[in-house]
Amino acid sequence: MFLYNFKYELKLLLRSQWIQLLSIVLLLLFGFSAYSGKGKVAKREADIAAAHNEVKESDQVMLQLLDSIEKGIKVNARPWTTPNKPMAVGNYYPRVAAMTPQPLAFVATGQADLFTHYIKPTVSGDDFALNFTEMTSPVQLLFGNFDLAFVVVYLLPLLIIAFSYNVLSSEKESGSLRLLASQPIDIRKWVLQKLVLRFFWLSILVLISLLLVFAFLNINWSSIITILPGLFTLILSYMLFWFALSFLVNLFVDSSAKNAISLLGLWVLFVLLVPSILNQLGTTLYPMPSRTLMINQMRSLKADATKKQDKILDNFLRDHPEYAINDSTQTRGFYHNYMASQKLVKEELQPVIKSYETQLRKQQYWLARLKWISPAVTVQESLNKMAGTSTEDYQQFRKQVIAFAETWRGFLTPFLYNNQKFSSKDYPKIPAFNYAPKEHNNTWVTISMGVCSVLLFVLGLLITRKQMITSIT
Amino acid sequence: MTRKTFIKEFKELFREGRLRIAFFLVVLLLGVSVWISAQQYQKINKQHEIAKTAERTIWDNQGKKNPHSAAHYGTYAFKPKYPLSLVDQGVDKYTGTSIFLEAHKRNEAQYSAAADQTGLSRFGDLTPDFILLFIIPLLIILLGYNSFTKEREMGTITLLRSQEITFWKWAMGKWAALFLPILILIASLFLIAGIILSYLKDFGVFQWDSLFWIFLVYVGYYIVFMNLVLFVSSKVKKSGVSLVLSISIWILTCLAIPKVASNVAENKYPYPTRQEFAVNVLKDKKQGLDGHNPWSKEAQLLQKNVLKKHGVDSLHQLPFNFDAYRMQKGEEHEAEIYFKHYNYLKEQFSKQSGVYKGLASFSPYLPTRFMSMAISHTDYATHWDFADAAEKYRIATQKFLNDNFAENSKYGNWKYQADADFWKQLPAFEYTPPELRTVLSKNASNLFILGGWVIGSFILFLFSTKKIK
Repeated sequence: MFLYNFKYELKLLLRSQWIQLLSIVLLLLFGFSAYSGKGKVAKREADIAAAHNEVKESDQVMLQLLDSIEKGIKVNARPWTTPNKPMAVGNYYPRVAAMTPQPLAFVATGQADLFTHYIKPTVSGDDFALNFTEMTSPVQLLFGNFDLAFVVVYLLPLLIIAFSYNVLSSEKESGSLRLLASQPIDIRKWVLQKLVLRFFWLSILVLISLLLVFAFLNINWSSIITILPGLFTLILSYMLFWFALSFLVNLFVDSSAKNAISLLGLWVLFVLLVPSILNQLGTTLYPMPSRTLMINQMRSLKADATKKQDKILDNFLRDHPEYAINDSTQTRGFYHNYMASQKLVKEELQPVIKSYETQLRKQQYWLARLKWISPAVTVQESLNKMAGTSTEDYQQFRKQVIAFAETWRGFLTPFLYNNQKFSSKDYPKIPAFNYAPKEHNNTWVTISMGVCSVLLFVLGLLITRKQMITSIT
Repeated sequence: MTRKTFIKEFKELFREGRLRIAFFLVVLLLGVSVWISAQQYQKINKQHEIAKTAERTIWDNQGKKNPHSAAHYGTYAFKPKYPLSLVDQGVDKYTGTSIFLEAHKRNEAQYSAAADQTGLSRFGDLTPDFILLFIIPLLIILLGYNSFTKEREMGTITLLRSQEITFWKWAMGKWAALFLPILILIASLFLIAGIILSYLKDFGVFQWDSLFWIFLVYVGYYIVFMNLVLFVSSKVKKSGVSLVLSISIWILTCLAIPKVASNVAENKYPYPTRQEFAVNVLKDKKQGLDGHNPWSKEAQLLQKNVLKKHGVDSLHQLPFNFDAYRMQKGEEHEAEIYFKHYNYLKEQFSKQSGVYKGLASFSPYLPTRFMSMAISHTDYATHWDFADAAEKYRIATQKFLNDNFAENSKYGNWKYQADADFWKQLPAFEYTPPELRTVLSKNASNLFILGGWVIGSFILFLFSTKKIK
């Protein structure tokens, strides 16, 4: 019977041109979304490369200037920017701290349009004032992106609904259900077989069109070959979930139109309502402290620090005897004061800055538990993680940049307090930033969603009685 | 006939339990979202007031100081929330809320709410605009998808054909029965919003006519959806197919096309990255007059001209402090550079707007969204307007400080300190968003496109079918 069903179903799908239609739709959707995703990643890479190039060029200028200065030649540059001053190096010759895209970055834009991918921390800037947001039109942020993740999370379920909402009810409505009921097969099993077969064919179509699109876009296979199975199984388990829902609805609800309404209602619930309600609850339960009030706090701290600058420097030098100058001919300048009070302000503001991080972490923790209410949220999050564009990835980048800013400052401040000049010999010792991407594991998500879907199928089989379906007709 | 159809359809709608539940859910969601938005609004504006006064106190109490140190010390402009953000939050979540105003530099607004939230926030918020733009059209689909198909499925169409009626009269009856509940729903919502807004304290200037215009925009939007849904229902045979087709239209209109538009707009007219922008500004700055650098070519030229103009041969003989004068000239030059670069951003944005408008002929969602945000003062244009006002204030502040420096000290006197009372003379930063009339005339094209949609969809719905089949 299964083999018979298999052949019949394939014929039916081909005759009704469902397969042909779906292939075209899938190719178009995947093609467009992956293509524009790829374009974004290419721009990101080009931007980072340009930034690195620029640093290389300015380094050349710096080395030339240093060379001239060391040879005693007068240089044509504003005096406070000449690179023999350590603070000038720190402010006018900053390094690039870049977040290079992960191999699957084109799959999900995630937070990539909101946050910046490279930054050049300077010695005198405030770490907490480093602006990690990108210059993007807010309208674009509001509308979101038509990326592969959008196609998978939002549109694929709708295709599944359109593909399966009337499997049983159409038989009922065309009158062929009576014929079927006379066959020696349990109707529920028959519906199950039909849906499993449709799932099988749709999966094949999805996988083939994805592979075709990837091949067409010249994706670097060697870099993604290990991640690809994870991506595919995640998408398949999400599809299976929607087929399971469709199975239940097919069994429990009667007419085609009502089936469609129920399934679309579930779609609205999982894709639109649950995420927005969860988000609202998250921000209400763990509200972010006001940034506007943080500015106030920072300002009064700074105002205090400016007034007590000399004292702060004295204290700082007491804590760092290695910087105390014994040579009485040398003086302390603006930057000596500035860097010391900057450090103090930073330390005093630390708890405030921390409160944002903790609050965000609390929101994330809360979300990590509740995201299971909506598979759409779960899958979107997992796709973002695979693409390396989730909030956690940008948090990680932020953390590393701030640590690097500290390294950069730590490299140059000894020069400042020892009143030592920066020379071309010190150039090779300049620290460089290397982004270490966050490791994510999505296997757990895929497995749980797959198991949930299978359980839904079993639930459908267990709850309905054999006669129930046919008796309705 | 129209009247009879209307009465029959209207009664039918409210007999069905499922529709009553859907209606109730939408009202509930709207209520919750309005309540949440009102809470947030009050909280944010309270914080805004606190921050504004605190910042001003810090500025006023700087003590004796060199005016240029004060300029570097700077001050902040905070962006308030406007009353109608209760209806549409627009892009507020994605724009910064405070701008640091300092010497030599135009800063962008910092600290957007979205940057402080989890990735979930990109799915959207439970706000009234979310319900108005996404959920109510779904409700319309639910109410209207089987309006015509059910006549076919139940066989009543044969009865109708035996009556002597024209299609459009019949259709108008069905249309009115669908329109009335939607109209009552949103009219009462806007009325309640209006009453809440006029009773809440510290809510800024709230105008009923702005609210009325937003109401009109949404009524237009819903009419388009009703016409499309009824058109589909009148053209297909089965209710299930009609539903799936209507939903596809909804997805295209509300989700897919806006996203495609944003992809296309970004691809065609990209913004520079933040770092690129900074580098470009820096390049231009290096070429011109730098107020802090007396040795540059431009500074020397300025010096020569000023000396000539005043008929003296040394800077010490000038009646003002030349250092401060040069500082002000440098400031003016830098302001020009920023004007140029921000103007480029604005140009890119207006080209992007062109893309959105172009695609608006495929999606009535786009003109509605833009109109609603614009009237609520939560759109990107209002944000630009605010940023421009802050920049204007920054330039005025710099002149105010440099002038004091120039007039009260002599050349070379960097030790000069202004009185502790001096800072209080700086006028406070005030910003009023554009008037309703300006907003409407600026968005005339969006209004026009939405009007086109209303008329076009009516024609499509009423005149594409001549006979009842």
